[in-house]
Amino acid sequence: MYQAEQTVAVRKAVAYPGLLGEHLIAEKTRAAMAVQQEALYAAREFLRSQGFTELLPPLIGPVTDPGARGAKALDVDFYGHTYKIMTSAILYKQASLRGFPKLFYIAPNIRVEPPETVDTGRHLVEFHQIDVEIAGGTREDAMDTAAGLLTHVVAHVFDTVPDVLRQLGRDPLDFAELLTGKFDSCTHTEAVQRLRDQGHPQSPDAEINWAGEEILSREADRPFFITDYPKGSRGFYDRENPQDPGVLRNFDLIAHGGFGELVSGSEREADYATLVTRMRESGENPAKYDWYLRLMREGLPASAGFGMGLQRLIRFLTGLDALWQVSAYPKLPGVVSP
Amino acid sequence: MSAEGATQRGGVYAPGLPEGLIRQRAREGVAAVFPPVDTYGRQLHGAGDEELSGPSGITDDLDLARLVPPVFMPRRLEKLIDLGREPLHEDVDLTTVIGGFHSPLPVYVSAFGSTRVASGDAGIAASRQAGRLGIPMVIGENMVPVGGYRRAEASQSPILARLRAYAQECPPGVGGVVVQQSTEDADSEVWNLVYSDTSVRELRDSGRLGFELKTGQGAKPGLGGMTAVDAEEAARLAGQFAVREILGPDRWLRCATPGTFTEEILRQQVRFMRNNFPRARVWVKFHPGRDVASAATTAWQAGSDAVTVDGAQGGTGWAPRTFLDQVGLPLGECLRRIGRPQGCLLATGRIWEGGRAVRALAMGATAVGLGRAALLAVDEDPEQGLTRLVEALALEARLLVSSVGKYRADALTDEDLWWPGATPTAVSPARTAPIGSPA
Repeated sequence: MYQAEQTVAVRKAVAYPGLLGEHLIAEKTRAAMAVQQEALYAAREFLRSQGFTELLPPLIGPVTDPGARGAKALDVDFYGHTYKIMTSAILYKQASLRGFPKLFYIAPNIRVEPPETVDTGRHLVEFHQIDVEIAGGTREDAMDTAAGLLTHVVAHVFDTVPDVLRQLGRDPLDFAELLTGKFDSCTHTEAVQRLRDQGHPQSPDAEINWAGEEILSREADRPFFITDYPKGSRGFYDRENPQDPGVLRNFDLIAHGGFGELVSGSEREADYATLVTRMRESGENPAKYDWYLRLMREGLPASAGFGMGLQRLIRFLTGLDALWQVSAYPKLPGVVSP
Repeated sequence: MSAEGATQRGGVYAPGLPEGLIRQRAREGVAAVFPPVDTYGRQLHGAGDEELSGPSGITDDLDLARLVPPVFMPRRLEKLIDLGREPLHEDVDLTTVIGGFHSPLPVYVSAFGSTRVASGDAGIAASRQAGRLGIPMVIGENMVPVGGYRRAEASQSPILARLRAYAQECPPGVGGVVVQQSTEDADSEVWNLVYSDTSVRELRDSGRLGFELKTGQGAKPGLGGMTAVDAEEAARLAGQFAVREILGPDRWLRCATPGTFTEEILRQQVRFMRNNFPRARVWVKFHPGRDVASAATTAWQAGSDAVTVDGAQGGTGWAPRTFLDQVGLPLGECLRRIGRPQGCLLATGRIWEGGRAVRALAMGATAVGLGRAALLAVDEDPEQGLTRLVEALALEARLLVSSVGKYRADALTDEDLWWPGATPTAVSPARTAPIGSPA
C-alpha cells in the first residue's frame, strides 16, 4: 500500500501520492520534472561560471551530518561496521576543500524525519541538495552565492519552460522582486520578535518552527535571509561568532509566498578544540568522527557554504503544494512507500 | 569469593585493619576492586553494604531528620472549612506534575539500564505496573547499543518491549515514559529512533514522551555505566564500549564513558534536545556532585522540565566498591545545597517507603524515584509487587503529610523537619517576657 492514512496521524486534510505508477504519469509530475531538469542545468551553469567544480558525493560513511529536529540517519552494515547513509555530505565537503577550494555536489540525502512532518509539505525522506562549499569564504560570500544561484535558476527556468510554469499557474510577476537579486535580511532575534508580536509562540533559542517560518514566508514579496541562529539550534560545524558568543555565523534563505526555507548555510568551525567542544554541546561522541577530526587536526581550510534543497527549489518554482509532487519517487515521513 | 576467614592463611595479624579485604586483594588483584562477579545479575549494589566495602561511617542525614507535626495547624483548619468536616489522611491530595507528566502520586520509577538484573522480564514487569499505576517511568541508558532496537517480533528489543508494555497499561492523561541516552546511545541515535518510531506515536503525541540527559549516577559519581560480561558478549560490544578482562577468567568489565560536561555543554545539550524534539519533555539527571546546585540551575534555566538528583545512596547493578560508600554527596546534602528549587526537582537514592520520600519532598523535591526497590518488588511479585509497594508508600505519605497538618505533598517545607542537634528556630511567645516578671 502507498497510502498514508494507515501509518500517520493527519492533522489537516492533505493529498498524498497515489500508486507510484499513477504518480509517474501524472501531468504535474511531468511538469515538475521538466522544471527540475532546467533548474539543474542552470545551477550547474551558474556554479561552473563562478569557478566551482562539481564532485560526486559519497553515499555512506562511518558518520554523517548529525542532523537536527529529530531526523534519523539510516544504518547500513559495511563489512561488519555500522555505516550511515548520508543525511548530508557536509563533512566530506569540508574535507574536499583540500583539493577543491570551490566545489559543489548535487547530493542525494536520506533523513528519516519524524512522522509529524508528513503534512508540512516541505519534508521528504529522500531528497537532494545543491551542496556548495567555498574555501576561505565568509558567511556573506556564501549568502551572495546562494542569492546569485537562486536568481540565475529562476531566470533560466522562466526563459526555457515558461509555458510549463504558466500551466501550473505561476505568474512571472510572482518572481519580479526576486529577479532584482536584492534579498532582505533579518536576524533570528528579529524574526522571533516579529512572530511573538503576532502572538505566535516561538522559542528564542530554537529553530524557527514550521508554522512560524510559513508566517514569515507569506509576509514577504521576495526571498529573504534569516541570520545569526542561536547555538543549540544547529550542527556543531556552524561557526560561533567570536564577537557574540552563543550566536552562530549562519543563515537560512527563506522563499516568499509561504514556501519557506530553501537554503541553510554557514561559516564553518575550523578550530579543532572548538569543534570537539561543540560536538559535546550537541551531544555527539567525538570518537565516531575520528577521520574528520584527524583531518581537522592536520588543518582544513576555513570555509563557508550552504545546501539548497532541490525539491524545495522546484516546489517554489512550480508553486505546487507539497514536495512529494516534485519528486518522481516520493517518500513521505512515516509513510512506507516503494 | 569471600573475604572472611583469610586470617588463618598467614601468620601475620593486623588488628584494626580490614584484613580480610586486604588479603582478598592480594589474592585477586584488580578483580577485588569490584563486588564478587558471581553476584552480578542478582545483587543490587548500593551504599551501606559493609561486608563489601568496609565500614564507611557516613550516613545520609536525610534519614536522621524527623518529621515534626506541630500542635497548631492552620492548614488543617483550611481543609476543615473546605470539606465541612474534620479532614483525614485520605484527604491528602498527592497528585502532581512530574517533569511535565501528570501523576497520581509524587513517585516515579527511575532508570535501570542495560544491567542484567533489569533485563528481560523484570524490566517489562516494572514497566507494566508503572503504566498501570499511571506514574512516570525512566528507561535507562545503553539498552540500544547492548540490546538493539528493532528486531523480529519474536525477540522484541528490550527498549521497545518496555515502552510498549508501559503504553499498553497506562491510563490516558497520566504518566509518561522518559528515555535516557548515553554517549554510546548517541552513536545509536536512540532519541531519534524513539522520536520517529510510529509505535511510540501515541505517547509522543499525547505529550507523554520525554528524554533524559544523564550526566551521572549516585552509585558511581563521575563514572559511566558498568556491567560484567562474558567473552562472547565482550567481543560483540567491543566496538561500542571499553571492555577489559579484569574481573577474572572470561569475566570482562564493560565500561560506558560518563561523557564530558561543562556548564556550556550542559546548557547547549538541553537546548539541542528542546530544538530537536519539540514534543518531548526534557529531563536531566545528575550524580551527587559538589556543584549540583549550579548544575541544576543551569539545567532549569536552559529549559529542562525536570532535574533529577541521584544521591550517593543510589543503587546500581555494578560499581567499584570504593564508589559505593566513599564517593558523592548524600541525597540530603544535595537537596540542602540546591535549596528552594527553581523548577521540578526529582530525588532518587534508597527510596522505598514513605518516610524518606516525604522528607525528600519536604526538602524541595517534587517527586521521588524508585530504583532498586522497584526491581525487588517485581522480583517478589511480577504482577503486583510494584503496585503494592507504591500503594504502601502512598498510604504512609498520606499519613505523614496529614500529620503535619497539610493536605498536598507540595505544601511540605523544611519547617516540617527537625535534625538532632538543630538549634530551636521558634521561640514561644510565653518566653518573650523575662522570667519572673508579672504576667
